Amino acid sequence: MSVDERHVLQQHQVTLLELVDRVLNGGVVLSGDITLSVADVDLVYVGLRVLVSSVATLEEQRELALEGALR
Amino acid sequence: MSAASEAAAVGDGPGWYLYGVVAAGEAPAQLNAAPAVDPRHQVVVLAEGPLAGVASRVSLQEFDEGSLPQRLGDAAWLEEKIRAHEQVLEDVLATASVVPCRFCTVYRSEDDLRLFLSEHGDALSEALERVAGRVELGVKAFVDHDRFASGGALRNESVRELTERVSGAEGGRAYMESRRLEQLVTDELMRFKGDVGAELHARLSGVAEDALTLPLRRPEVSGREEEMLFNGAYLVGDRARFEQELGAFVDDHREDGIEVDLTGPWPAYNFVPAGLGGP
Repeated sequence: MSVDERHVLQQHQVTLLELVDRVLNGGVVLSGDITLSVADVDLVYVGLRVLVSSVATLEEQRELALEGALR
Repeated sequence: MSAASEAAAVGDGPGWYLYGVVAAGEAPAQLNAAPAVDPRHQVVVLAEGPLAGVASRVSLQEFDEGSLPQRLGDAAWLEEKIRAHEQVLEDVLATASVVPCRFCTVYRSEDDLRLFLSEHGDALSEALERVAGRVELGVKAFVDHDRFASGGALRNESVRELTERVSGAEGGRAYMESRRLEQLVTDELMRFKGDVGAELHARLSGVAEDALTLPLRRPEVSGREEEMLFNGAYLVGDRARFEQELGAFVDDHREDGIEVDLTGPWPAYNFVPAGLGGP
């Protein structure tokens, strides 16, 4: 993975996290018919960890593949 | 096709997803740029008195309380919907001030949504007035330990003296001295982080309409190797002035190993009331 590619991937991940923090913890909470409970938000962070680690894993795998190719 | 007949055509339970609230007079006539959280439906503006809800139809099978917890654990689903929510609001923000709603605010019918808008009209109008003509900007500051050790830390006399002694020492003594230096720099960094974070927040608060600090994120979450020393959000009317102050702060701390990230403009997620209408 090139430096540029990695940068793009990191940027992608960072903006997503930034977004999650705002969209899930900010915003007006309304008496909607269906709204997220605190337990739901915890679930989101569990889901998100999977997402973040999958980005990290993808990066590692690509690096390993690259190292393998260079040997 | 009217909203009602469109829903009938899809036919799997009409719900309404509310992205945010705008002033009816400012409401964008057309919002087609961003796909809705349920991409089969269009984002529409539902005017109710002086306010309007930016909303789109969603399948209640997808968004109902029963199935939502499961969906939320699905990272791909979550990312798609969170990005859609933000994109729709960014489209709105391009032409109008908006009170953003929290993710997954869903009504079972258009009537329920309209009832909400009219019942909470005053509080919503107040929130709108507060964010009118303003955007939210995010500022994070990071510090690089090594760059701080060879830069800002040297302002401390003890650090400076010990750094000189370490470079002149040899063998076991050099090891002991460098361990002491490391501890001294760590202590100095702790003090510095508190001071510089407070300085940054004070300076930016002076050029913002409102300000708050957000939790610091660990490196594995922030995506940066450097340590986060500050995380803040600002409600800003004059962006040029804000950015100028931020630039001046960066200039003043060139030697300190600090990096600053500016994000936004965001809808004012952090500057609207957390609760409205009660449980």
